[in-house]
Amino acid sequence: MSAGEKRVSRGLDTPFEERLFQRVLLLVPLAGLALFFLYPLSIVVWRSFQQGDGTTGLGNYREILGLDHLWRVVSNSLVMSGLTAVICVGLGLVIAYALSRTRIPLRWLVTLALILPLLAPSLVQALGLIFMFGRNGLLTSLLGVQVQIYGLPGLVIANSLYALPQAVMILAVALRHADRRQYDAALVLGASPWRRFVDITLPGLRFGLLSAGFVCFTVTITDFGNAAVIGGNYRVLASEIYAQVVGQMNFNMGAVVGILLLIPTLLAFYLEKVAGLRGGSSEGAIPVEPDRWAPRDIPLWILTHLTALFVIAIVAVVIFASFVQLWPYRMSLTLKNYNITTQGGYDPLWTSLYASLITAVFGTAMLFALVLAQRKMPGWSARLVYLLAIVPVGVPGLVLGLSYVLSFNVRPVFPGILYGSALLIAFCNFYHYHSQGFLTMVTGIRNVPQPLEETVTTIGGGLWANLRDAVIPIMVPTLISVFFFLFMRGMVTLSAVIFLITPKLSVGAVSVMRLDQAGSSTQAAAFAVLIMITVLAAMGLMRLLLIWQSRRSRARAAG
Amino acid sequence: MRNTLSRVAWLALGMACLPALSPAFAPAFAGEITVYSALEEDEIAAYLERAAADMPDVTVNLLRLSTGDLGARIIAEAGNPQADVIWGFAVTNMLNPAIYDQLAAYKAAGEDALGEQFRDKEGRWFAPTGYVGAFCVNTERLAQIGAPVPTSWADLKNPAYKGEVVMPDPGSSGTGYLQIAAILQGAGEEAGWQLIKDIDPNMAQYTTSGSRPCRMAQAGEFAIGASLSYVAMQGIEEGYPIQMVIPADYAGFELEANGLMAAAKNPDDAKRFLDWTLGAGAAEAYAARKDLVTIPGVPRSPQAEKAGLPEDLTAVLFPMNFAASGETRDAIITKWREAVGR
Repeated sequence: MSAGEKRVSRGLDTPFEERLFQRVLLLVPLAGLALFFLYPLSIVVWRSFQQGDGTTGLGNYREILGLDHLWRVVSNSLVMSGLTAVICVGLGLVIAYALSRTRIPLRWLVTLALILPLLAPSLVQALGLIFMFGRNGLLTSLLGVQVQIYGLPGLVIANSLYALPQAVMILAVALRHADRRQYDAALVLGASPWRRFVDITLPGLRFGLLSAGFVCFTVTITDFGNAAVIGGNYRVLASEIYAQVVGQMNFNMGAVVGILLLIPTLLAFYLEKVAGLRGGSSEGAIPVEPDRWAPRDIPLWILTHLTALFVIAIVAVVIFASFVQLWPYRMSLTLKNYNITTQGGYDPLWTSLYASLITAVFGTAMLFALVLAQRKMPGWSARLVYLLAIVPVGVPGLVLGLSYVLSFNVRPVFPGILYGSALLIAFCNFYHYHSQGFLTMVTGIRNVPQPLEETVTTIGGGLWANLRDAVIPIMVPTLISVFFFLFMRGMVTLSAVIFLITPKLSVGAVSVMRLDQAGSSTQAAAFAVLIMITVLAAMGLMRLLLIWQSRRSRARAAG
Repeated sequence: MRNTLSRVAWLALGMACLPALSPAFAPAFAGEITVYSALEEDEIAAYLERAAADMPDVTVNLLRLSTGDLGARIIAEAGNPQADVIWGFAVTNMLNPAIYDQLAAYKAAGEDALGEQFRDKEGRWFAPTGYVGAFCVNTERLAQIGAPVPTSWADLKNPAYKGEVVMPDPGSSGTGYLQIAAILQGAGEEAGWQLIKDIDPNMAQYTTSGSRPCRMAQAGEFAIGASLSYVAMQGIEEGYPIQMVIPADYAGFELEANGLMAAAKNPDDAKRFLDWTLGAGAAEAYAARKDLVTIPGVPRSPQAEKAGLPEDLTAVLFPMNFAASGETRDAIITKWREAVGR
């Protein structure tokens, strides 16, 4: 804790305005978390103690824990999420390493494979897997081999597709900053490449690896969509919530399972301890340049590209199916699936775009502020903020959505006015993905070398100068990846949102669900493809704006 | 570094535009009603077109969700209900006290013509339409495995169907529950549970959603999916090689109930809308597409005829006791989980 104390004592002699600024940085995001996360969550906790006979107590917990099949469901969930986390962290490390430390060819292919699962509605992955490996799938018919896709294998593959990009996002940020001189020194001392990896790279990555593992484990244990489509008879806890809430209309029991699902987030205590250890960045770290070394590169590249091809193939088959007359019986091509006739037509797409931009702008700003404030705080309070910031990942979308209805559909103007607005949908999507964004930000800010900040401060720069000259330049890539992450998830997230749409306000992800429910999976696929194109176009436009903006200011600085 | 700062400024500018958002739930205007429905997307469109012609001065704002999701939404909104009318919602779910207690008694014009089992004793709901439990049978896949088309639940015991049958999990799907309830009420406790256990070895999956078994059958993933009549008819419309079979022994059915919310903001127009759902215009619209209409004298729909639905459905349907099946629901689901062990 000595580092923390040093920082605090320094904080005391900063001028008043700066301390005020620090307070604002902390209080605004905390107020957001309190209103849009803690308040709804407290209602879920309260419901979990409401018993069938109207009294309050632990009865629901006793009943759930007494169910015969519960323990099988719990162990199923642990096995499934554990496997997924191991696969995603392993593959994620390979891919992130290949991208940031080697001169991998066809880099764009890998980048594309990493964003596809984030910008495709979850239906796409499930449909893609079934179209490929299902009992009547393409590969199954071609090769004549039956793969048992329904159940644990399919569920792990589908969930890995979903979680892998999130693992890579965190690991890539963690890998971005290391000090080349450490590697040079090791090289001089005659350390083998493997030793350098084990002794320099891995220790620097420890926090990133743990965060990635935590995120993959938690997002998949709370995800219901894949379990419903491809899980077969492999029941997991998230399906249990669905059965209680949607199947049997028993909110209180669903709330209990929702609370049980928060248990894995307790791992966060440990994660926070590791976070306290400062990363490997030293004064004026020199970025590690990608290099070539065939014995390492070739296996890494093969694994990376195979994974990328697999992901792209799964999405591509759905894109193909969206142009097919009647999959898999009449394979002639048509555009008829793109003639969307459901309620609202294409309007929900624009609402999605609007709400997702708010999610991304608001979310990135809030997370950046929170991270800036949190790292200057003394030990225990920093820990508290940290925990609060990563609990949202443990809350299933279904639970979050219903808790939003219970919290915001109230008569008082505030917060009642939010109910039924696109703003609430935007906030809900942000807090749903709060933890992933926060962990990426924390990983990123650990790379801001403290000596650099100290230098800026000693030469008379205040907090502003410090932010401008030391923190933001290093954080820009992290801010951009968090922004795009939130934007993409906002465009496609379904689970919580179905409880927040109104007769006059719907979003694209809901249209995909509706089309699928109305019996046309190819039309649903077509709408999903349109969402993907919209997201890609919007992202391209924003990138262009960023480039244009930075060129212009560079030109101005030069002039 | 100025460029990065101006980027932050851009972001701030973006945030400043936020208040431009307007909440979508405007106060209720005369002539506007909010309707929550679990009817199918395409039929809603057809009915609303007809309703707009019959009642040009009423604007219907409609929220469509699947039965389970909609039920959860209505219960969650209980503190401050947003809907005026619930339209076409599974009666089993309507009877859930958390929803039933939100309804007001209202006797719609023409309700007396309905049979007694199609309306509530206290007048809180009535059901002009419904749907039937049905098998979706993929004839191509069946031909591949060389098995006959099943005609009843009892037929599904045939070992030729091993791993080729899918049905919904009664714990998470109302459709699954209505199928199990029909078997238990029809065959009696003992024989019913025996039949459920006998079919179990052939069941490849118990799915979460009620329509998924039919979707799986239509994609050729499995040969037989136990689902609902309208899902099967949708599949046949789309052109999939499937055949609809109403099980000859225990065909469960579900009623689509309508009711007035006690908290309706525009009760007058809500009542007019409910009257309309029993009127001549609606009946005509039902006749064009609905498989189960409880209003006397409404002919069988062309789709139902094409899909091979019997002319007099009430003759095939097992007389379901909805109140009883609602009460024993939890016990049945628990027992079912023990029986099949999944």
